[in-house]
Amino acid sequence: MSEHHHEPAPMVDEVSDFEILEMAVRELAIEKGLFSAEDHRIWTEYVHTLGPTPAARLVAKAWLDPEYKNLCVTDGVEASKAVGVDWINSPPTHFGTPSDYCNLRVLEDTPTLKHVVVCTLCSCYPRPILGQSPEWYRTPNYRRRLVRWPRQVLAEFGLQLPSDVQIRVADSNQKTRYIVMPVRPAGTDGWSEDQLAEIVTRDCLIGVAVPKPGVTSNTMRPIHKAVHPVEHGHGH
Amino acid sequence: MSTKHQHDRSHHASIATGIGDPQCFKGKAGKPKFKEGDTVRVKDMPDIFYTRCQVYPRGAVGQVTKLVYESPAAEDEAWDNTDKPEWFYSVAFNQKELWPEYSDAYPNDTLETEFSERWLEKA
Repeated sequence: MSEHHHEPAPMVDEVSDFEILEMAVRELAIEKGLFSAEDHRIWTEYVHTLGPTPAARLVAKAWLDPEYKNLCVTDGVEASKAVGVDWINSPPTHFGTPSDYCNLRVLEDTPTLKHVVVCTLCSCYPRPILGQSPEWYRTPNYRRRLVRWPRQVLAEFGLQLPSDVQIRVADSNQKTRYIVMPVRPAGTDGWSEDQLAEIVTRDCLIGVAVPKPGVTSNTMRPIHKAVHPVEHGHGH
Repeated sequence: MSTKHQHDRSHHASIATGIGDPQCFKGKAGKPKFKEGDTVRVKDMPDIFYTRCQVYPRGAVGQVTKLVYESPAAEDEAWDNTDKPEWFYSVAFNQKELWPEYSDAYPNDTLETEFSERWLEKA
């Protein structure tokens, strides 16, 4: 057999068209002086600190205060201020906002109406109040199937709803961003705002889950002791 | 020597700073053509270059649930044309209207999404 000489395959990262587009636009913006590379880094760092806890707090407050609930439903941007989210001026970076648009609608569920949110055209998400979207929210699979087969998709998330409950899909295609205000579950009588906020997880706020007493995402993570702890013997 | 027109590319950002977008277009769209509760049909117009009107609701009939804000249509805004804001409407459709094969077991299921005024006609 003749000897084969194998050229090493080039190491190439998979980069999507959209990533290339983002880089091109970012570099142009920096070149034109709209912002600096450092501005961009600071902004990105800030945005990555955001999470769903303010939205959970908003829902918990609304469950306890009918007047606040009414404000949430009529003016989500104003209601967000009570949980520390200013859609228009919040970033400490003094430029930009974590959302492209500043219009929040809080979709109120009832025992016979269940909302669920999607963005079929891209992945619009209420980032100032929910943080970065989960990976699945951005997938074509979720985006194209939720509008058409919402019951099947929700069932895949473990949520099966009776036929007398109307499912209303909100397709976030323009300047409105949505969060879902689920129905306060049974078994939470007398709970404090802190306790209620704990069961309103991110997925409940997107609408693919409903809150349940005892199911939280914000509880302390268990600390497991190392099975084989490293000994630091420095000759003591 | 050069008389090249310099377009202000930060114009859109500067009008929204401290006010918010779409808030910065409030009061600029004139009289709304539709009101809450109106039955409307989504037009099927050509969409060269850019649109935010999905294909699946085109031709479907739904009810206006809310006049949501005023803003330039996405088709204009994509080219930084903010001269002619329009009213935007949230419209709810029965799922069966959008997807003829939608299961009859769930006749009450609905979908809600937004349109700029140019995409809607009275039905």
